[in-house]
Order: sequence, then C-alpha cells, then structure tokens
Amino acid sequence: MEVAVVGGSTRQILGSYRGKCMELRWERRNIRSKAKGEKEKRVSVKNKKEKVPIYISTNPSHINSEELRDLCSACNHSCHRFPKYLDCDTDVVEAVDIHKLRTALSHSSLVVSVFCKPTDVLLYTTKSSSEINTTSNKNIQIQIQGLGLGLGLKDLFQQLMPVTPFNAQLVGFGRAVSDFGLTASIYDVMVIPSLRGMGIGRMILKRLVRMLASRDIYDIAAVCSEKERMFFKACGFGDDILGSTTMMYSRKVSTYDEGDQLVIRAGQKLLLAPALKETSASLKAKNS
Amino acid sequence: MGVFGSIRVLRLRAGFWESIKSGLLKDDTTQVIETSPEPQVEEPLPEEFVLIEKTQPDGAIEQIIFSSGGDVDVYDLQSLCDKVGWPRRPLSKLAAALKNSYMVATLHSIRKSPEPEGGDQKKLIGMARATSDHAFNATIWDVLVDPSYQGQGLGKTLVENIIRALLQRDIGNITLFADSQVVEFYRNLGFEPDPEGIKGMFWYPKF
Repeated sequence: MEVAVVGGSTRQILGSYRGKCMELRWERRNIRSKAKGEKEKRVSVKNKKEKVPIYISTNPSHINSEELRDLCSACNHSCHRFPKYLDCDTDVVEAVDIHKLRTALSHSSLVVSVFCKPTDVLLYTTKSSSEINTTSNKNIQIQIQGLGLGLGLKDLFQQLMPVTPFNAQLVGFGRAVSDFGLTASIYDVMVIPSLRGMGIGRMILKRLVRMLASRDIYDIAAVCSEKERMFFKACGFGDDILGSTTMMYSRKVSTYDEGDQLVIRAGQKLLLAPALKETSASLKAKNS
Repeated sequence: MGVFGSIRVLRLRAGFWESIKSGLLKDDTTQVIETSPEPQVEEPLPEEFVLIEKTQPDGAIEQIIFSSGGDVDVYDLQSLCDKVGWPRRPLSKLAAALKNSYMVATLHSIRKSPEPEGGDQKKLIGMARATSDHAFNATIWDVLVDPSYQGQGLGKTLVENIIRALLQRDIGNITLFADSQVVEFYRNLGFEPDPEGIKGMFWYPKF
C-alpha cells in the first residue's frame, strides 16, 4: 500500500515556525512468541516485525478533549501528581476533570497526539492480552485472517484508507508548557497499554524536544514518578547536572490551623495556602 | 520619632483581601455537570501593594512594593541577576520568558527623597516567576532577591504570593527545582523534596 505522507504546512499557533505538523508513520512491533518453561514445548523465538500505521500530529485542533479524557482513563493517568483513587483498595484513579483538561490544553505551548485506526488498536489489544505460546499464537494468526475474511467490503475499504485524526482513535499524547525563552516542562505523556513498547512514547517525547530545541529551548524538565523514570531515562533524560532538588508544595491542613484559610483539593491532597500577613491594625484590635 | 527609622506595615487594599478571606474549600466527590460555560478568568488579576514602609535617618521614605503585574525592565533584571551571581542569559530570552510566564512577581524599592523637589528612585530588588498550564501544573523559576535586602523575609513574600495566586486558581501541582543551599528555605515554605519518589528529570542534548 503506497501512501504519500500527508504533510500540510500549517502555521503553528505560537510563533511563526512553519513546518509539518501532521504526518503518517509506521511503527514496528516486535512479536515474539515466548517459549514455555518445559523443554518439550520449546520453540524457536519468532521475531515477527509488523508495521502499524499511526498518525502523529502536533496540531492542537486535532485533539478532542473527551477522547483525551478517555485516553487518560485507559492509561489510568491522572493529571494530579497525587491522584485520588476511586476506592481505598484499588489503584484506579478518578477521571480527569474535563473543564480543567480543556484549560490545560488551551494553555499548553506544544501538544503531540498519536492516532491509530480503531481496528488496529483492537487487533493489538487482543494480541497483547492473550497467552503467548505457540498454540495460541497459531490461533491468533487464524483469528486475524478470519477477521480479514469475515469483514465486509466496507470494512475492507476502511482498512485501506489512510489513518487520519478524523477516522482514527487517539492512542498517544504528550504536552509541554514553555515560556519560549528559557525553560519548558513536559507533562502527561501517555500511550494506551496495548500499544506500549513500540516506540510511540519515545516518538512523542522526541517530537516535543525537537520542537522546543528548534525554538532554542534546551532547559527541558519532566517531573516523573518512579515508574515513569525509566521511560524518560531511555529517551535521553537524566538527573539535573546542577544537582538541583525537585520540590513540590505540599503544605496540608492540620488541626492546629484556625481562622480563614484557603484550601484546595489537588487529587488526594488538601493543600493549604500561605496565610495572609497580619496587619498592625488588626493585631492591635486583637490585643485590646 | 527616635533616631532609628520606624517600620510600618500598611493595610492592603480592602476589596482584594476580602474576596480571598471568604476562602475556598473544595469537597466535591460527585461529578457536577456544568451546563453553563466556565467563567473566563484567564490571567491572575495583577496586584500591587506596599509591603514595608521605612523612614530613613535622613528623612527619606523607602517603600518596598510588591507587584504581580510583571512590569519588569529586562535590563534591571539582568543587573539583579548579576548582583546575585547568576550566569548571564541573553536579554531576548529573558524578555520572552517574562512575557510568557503565568505570573511574574516583583519587589521594587522606592525611595522618596526628603526634599520636596527631590524625585523618587525606583529599583528592582526582587523577582520570582512561575509558568503554568493554568489548570493542573505550575513551576516556579528564578526566585531572586538583591543581596542587600536579603534576610528580611522578602523572598518568602514573593514565593508565598505566587503560591497563593496559583492555589486560588486551583492549580495544585506546584513544583520547583532548588539548588542545595536553598532547599531549607523552600522546606520552610511548605515544599517537600522528592515527594513519594517524584523527581525532575532534564533533557540532555546529544551533540
């Protein structure tokens, strides 16, 4: 299938950087069949490289906020650093507030979104969730072929259509906030679980970094949890060379605090704002 | 009255503080579906107030004014950075960074001359800025106070005001990257280092 790269030269919203902001790519997926422990069932490891067409875009208008919220849920990602869990014995985070998400999107300096055809997503969801041994692998093969044969003409046509943001599912995302002078921060990089390990996350990050570097910003920070650290490390991020310590505001409400307070909820934390300064007039009133 | 100057902390503008005093306690566990469009309060309302007023021995009055309007002269900022010993950064980049920051808080010292015809001298003595996505995350960068004005709680005021402004807008992830010598300073302001294993990582360009 020969598909030309769809590249429109679109004016990016912030600044006059003219460049491709949409393109079609193919990702390779390594499909290995793991041999079972017992010697009798050992088979040669198959390295089957398959290509999945994906569409990577840096155009913010390609993002549907509801789709993004659903992607967050699929990735169990909360935009809060200390998310609130739905239940005390589960690690499922509460859904992202759509209004805040929209605000965040509109104020993000750069966004990268990755799309994939729903049928392909479905395919890989089935593959990754099944047991990996020779017999089931064969079954999957047959299943896929069956899928192809079982599809009607309309579906076959759909399969031949190139993937665009308008007919595809959002499967990956990443955004950066920058002052376009000195610094940038990367937030919310995510890829749906079934398509991980294919280099999509890395592609998103590389694209963000490339766009920032083209605007002369090299001080790029990404605040990440323990789990995300390996991913960022593999993409070329490391500890601060200047040895700075990452700190987060976490002053909480305590039983000793009195009076008017400004308290906000951020995920599971209740943050207390610094108190207002007492003026000399109000102090005198207290003491009299 | 006496030989030494008197320090007076002036009352802040009434309306502003009244609106904050009412406080905000978010406690919703239920999903509220809003049909009305969200209020378009985009940028934080710039505020300016006198923090400290001092009468000096020669009769001159020095006021230290806090402002969040972000009215910073880049040259003044450059010289302030020199005073604290920071490496020089291109002016155009400084200007762009200031322009695109979510909030720029400044401290200026205004010296009103004792003579009636004497003019006012205004100089930048402190600054702090924060970038944000206006919804979830904010990072505080570049907190600096003129060395001759340090030790008075001015840096604390700058940072506290930024935190307050961010929390008022419901921005809960407030991060910063502190040099080793200022980690304690921020700890006293309510910041926690590497909370729950969260760390900042930086990109390393491969040449």
